[in-house]
Amino acid sequence: MTRPDRGDADGKPRAWGVVVALAGAFAGAVAWSVVTGPVPLSLREVVEAFRHVLATEPSRSPAARVVLELRLPRALLGALVGGALSSSGVAFQALLRNPLADPYILGVSGGAAVGALTAALLLPADASLPLPLCAFLGAALAAAGVFLLARRRSGVSRERLILMGVVVGAFLNAVIMMMVALSPPGKIPGAIYWLMGDLSLGTLRRVGLLVPYVAAGAGVLFLLSRGMDLLLLGDEAAFQTGLPVERVKTAVYLTASLLAGSVVAVSGLISFVGLIVPHGARVLVGSGHRRLLPAAFLMGGTFLVAADILARSMSASGELPVGAVTALAGAPFFLYLLRRNGGKP
Amino acid sequence: MTVPLVAGAKIHFSYGDREILSGVDLCVAEGEVTVLLGPNGAGKSTLLKILSGILVPRLGEVTVLGRPPASYGRREMARLLAVAGQDPPVDFPMSVEEFVMLGRFPHHGFFGGSTDGDRREVERALATTGLSGLRRRGLSEISAGERQRATLARAIAQGARVMLLDEPTAFLDIYHRVAFYEIVTGLAETCGVGALVASHDLSLCAEYGKRIVLLAGGQVRADGRPEAVLTPENIRDAFGVAVACDRNPATGAVRVTTVRREREKRV
Repeated sequence: MTRPDRGDADGKPRAWGVVVALAGAFAGAVAWSVVTGPVPLSLREVVEAFRHVLATEPSRSPAARVVLELRLPRALLGALVGGALSSSGVAFQALLRNPLADPYILGVSGGAAVGALTAALLLPADASLPLPLCAFLGAALAAAGVFLLARRRSGVSRERLILMGVVVGAFLNAVIMMMVALSPPGKIPGAIYWLMGDLSLGTLRRVGLLVPYVAAGAGVLFLLSRGMDLLLLGDEAAFQTGLPVERVKTAVYLTASLLAGSVVAVSGLISFVGLIVPHGARVLVGSGHRRLLPAAFLMGGTFLVAADILARSMSASGELPVGAVTALAGAPFFLYLLRRNGGKP
Repeated sequence: MTVPLVAGAKIHFSYGDREILSGVDLCVAEGEVTVLLGPNGAGKSTLLKILSGILVPRLGEVTVLGRPPASYGRREMARLLAVAGQDPPVDFPMSVEEFVMLGRFPHHGFFGGSTDGDRREVERALATTGLSGLRRRGLSEISAGERQRATLARAIAQGARVMLLDEPTAFLDIYHRVAFYEIVTGLAETCGVGALVASHDLSLCAEYGKRIVLLAGGQVRADGRPEAVLTPENIRDAFGVAVACDRNPATGAVRVTTVRREREKRV
């Protein structure tokens, strides 16, 4: 009974092995995504295209243009978005101590959607404020609004955060319905596609713009990982164990919202990645956030890139919005989770 | 007299307009186990929350080693004072060992990895509470009593000089109840830990507590050695039940037994 069993003291070697394996899958998914597409390209042509980039000599071959201007940005965007949504989901689940929380639970999605629709409806087509920027502003405003509404002198309680998130989300949904219903025909098809989640907006420039946001957001969350471990204990116990609870909660909330808002701006509302992947990653490496965050990032990126490959190859004529594919895979999981949880939040 | 580890003086506290504590004095001394007794709703948990800095009293002051709690950094405070209270969470998979390791946060902080020293302390806390064999089990896979021992193990791993324990034996069987008091008095005698235990174990705390504080109606009704506090009059005043108090023939400690039917006659 008291004999200490030696070996991997807290399952570490195996868990880090899993992270390395996930990194391999992540790289593999990106590579596979670059190689597959409607235009058949041989592996040699793809390698050739990259060789030209490395040698910084412009290549005029159409194969190189397909690879560098279409497939690579899209694969990288999928990897970044999937990773960021999953990391954000992990953070919201820890913050709210709720396994059913996702990056959109606190109004980010509604805010981003209103921002995107506003851009599509009100701004001229050649406006200097593009749709992603408006979506980001909308997400940031909504997240800040929910936070301020939930705040009291004693701090921010998770119950109030969820309540305010739901209220603000419902209000924004009503605004979205009004905007869609009252808009002149033909004005918002792009925005509708965006609402379903769409990786085709990826250009190398946008991916480049997104990288610092995702790197900073994921990096800050990683630095806060011990704090998130303690948040799982509940506010009082975390406080008594030495955590400056209110400051950590504020930092986690703002970082996770920024992360979700910045990727939503470019990719639209891709659902379920931020909800499913954290649970999958927890099964593999446990709840310790130092391992969970990297694992969820890699798993989320891999999952979304794979879903995008599926979305591009499922219909011969065009492609499905990737948000539809993730939700198709995600909905059954969601039901399973609810049932296993016995309906408990 | 030395400075008490934790002291509360003239503590007043109310939730809304319901006054819970009206002028409570209490201190926890080094190397001493103090038991806090009192009926449900007497304010025992509230008092522990005030002493640990979660709640701020309306009037009165709390000092930890002579300084107000707010003058300490969070981690500094947690190295001095550990609390074992609520049931740990079971929403997310977490092993007993990971859970106990969280108690080492005040020592390694946000960025430091867990050192061999941390692992030794966790090992010791698990062995002390008899949980070494359950270390890999998830918190949701063990019983409520075992979770309660895990919470105690986390507080022990924190390595603090004061431990505030809120009904730490509520889910424990008699074996582990006795084991709990053995552990806490052991920590007090060997490491000089000062412990404040909110409890309902009348006879057990008489056996182990050096000092008993009886809290009722928002005030301290009695404070002193078990034989001075655990009298039929005090217990009737505080709990509204009739009891007989005699001595345990085996140990000489006060023994409290309830007296049937008396209660209806009195109330």
